Amino acid sequence: MPFVRDCEVLAHQEVAADHYRITLAAPEIAKQARPGMFCMIEVGTGFYPFLRRPFSVERIHADGISFLYKVEGEGTRLLSRFRAGDTVNIQGPLGRPFPVEAGMRRYFLVAGGIGVAPFPALAEAIIAVGGTPEVLLAARTEHLLIGARDFSRMGCRVVLATDDGSCGMKGTAVDLLKQDLGTGEGSVVYACGPMAMLRAAHETCLAAGVVCWASLEAHMACGDGVCMRCVVPANRETEAERMARVCREGPVFDSRDINWTACP
Amino acid sequence: MADLRVNIGGLFMKNPVTVASGTFGYGQEYDEYFDIAQLGAVTVKSLTLQPRAGNRPPRLAETPAGLLNAIGLQNVGIEAYLRAKLPFLRKKGCTIIANIYGYVPDDYAELARRLESEQGADAIEVNLSCPNVHDARSVGGCKLVAQQPEAVLKYTRVIRSATRLPLFIKLSPNVADIVEPCLAAQEGGADGLSLINTLLGMEIDVKTRKPVLSNLVGGLSGPAIRPVALKMVWDAARAVKIPIIGMGGICNARDAVAFLLVGASAVAVGSASFRRPDTALQVIKGLEDYLEEHGFSRVTELVGALKTE
Repeated sequence: MPFVRDCEVLAHQEVAADHYRITLAAPEIAKQARPGMFCMIEVGTGFYPFLRRPFSVERIHADGISFLYKVEGEGTRLLSRFRAGDTVNIQGPLGRPFPVEAGMRRYFLVAGGIGVAPFPALAEAIIAVGGTPEVLLAARTEHLLIGARDFSRMGCRVVLATDDGSCGMKGTAVDLLKQDLGTGEGSVVYACGPMAMLRAAHETCLAAGVVCWASLEAHMACGDGVCMRCVVPANRETEAERMARVCREGPVFDSRDINWTACP
Repeated sequence: MADLRVNIGGLFMKNPVTVASGTFGYGQEYDEYFDIAQLGAVTVKSLTLQPRAGNRPPRLAETPAGLLNAIGLQNVGIEAYLRAKLPFLRKKGCTIIANIYGYVPDDYAELARRLESEQGADAIEVNLSCPNVHDARSVGGCKLVAQQPEAVLKYTRVIRSATRLPLFIKLSPNVADIVEPCLAAQEGGADGLSLINTLLGMEIDVKTRKPVLSNLVGGLSGPAIRPVALKMVWDAARAVKIPIIGMGGICNARDAVAFLLVGASAVAVGSASFRRPDTALQVIKGLEDYLEEHGFSRVTELVGALKTE
């Protein structure tokens, strides 16, 4: 059951150029939130922007939640102006979380750029069931590799890559996955990042026979399955289900359910 | 407490507030936030005979004080509605307005017949004005039924002969004179009008030099269109005898009161539900407060009570 609540901003820091972490006091939402779920944040109180913005939950605490985001447009620019002590209205938690099963041999978290956003909470959940998350973190350049140290401190294995080779391997998160996945036996993959990266992760996992849980990003108007804005082509027989809602059927999908060839 | 009940064209509503088709799904989604049976009626997303997957994304863009959409009527179709969506609304005790869309008059007639015979709705709203199911690439686009008064008359007659349920015709603001299609719907036997559907619009991404919507053009909604909607309801209300459900950018009770004053007998909250799911409920509460504060005992006293002197 989602809530709409005015929440106090507990902390708000710039973690890298144009990348922020906002922490909100939201005990009811925190109680129901699971890794991979998202909230709709009201970034402005006037009529522009008219719509809320969706953000994956980064971490879940007893009394609050945090979000990691990148300033991309007008909405995120406005959000970045909130200060500790301000009030922000959020709606959530929404969407389907990452399934976390105990007893897997390896848990790969494949993150491209700001796609790292939902993974701290997921890593905690995997550790809680006795697993060791292996975070394959990639970004354009070194200073955009966000949270690497936090993952290490949590006890994750962290492998880094950058497009420009400024840190770690020169390549993408999926290149790291290809290097590490091996036969894939007993492995599960969680992926979040740009569509091209998700598609590559899907193809790699499909070839290895490994399940890939992809968290998709989409523009949304409502977040509640009503507006039909955030749809992606799905591998479904019926006309009514051919377009799946990222907000409702996702944002976390079994990558085999997405019709990647029909995606823009 | 003021009396909020209204009877519009044979449809009884416990208050004059419903939601605009396409902004409230089939009700169940927003029932997670508030008891949707408190609404005067739930208006469901347009139903077609066969399910539709809708247009390719991108389908919706944010614009100043509103949004532009070209969803293309993605919906589960009448079968799945009756089987999977209706039972929830009935169990909740909602008053239901079913919005229907067809390609030819007989499609609408069949939808209306099925809804009546299977108790799928308490009233029917006929969408003659969806701007997003035609090819926008042709010069001037394809004409909507709602843009041709003689077609409005013809469609309304056919649908009227298929059902005794209260019948509302939803019309388009994309006309030179809103009164003409309104009179045609009235002559065809409509019990009421829903005014207005979205205004046709376009938005361009100058970086890519492409329209932001895959459909190129779409329908504009939200507070940006409210003054246009108010004027059209005012024009229509002075010309027709049948009641009007007014809609277009309603975000709060003040907006709703304005529509009642210009002659709407009921109102629908649209895009604002996307911002705050319980907007329609807040409109009902605010309407009660307004009536009390201004000494009205019945909401019907507000209808057409505009002072122009």
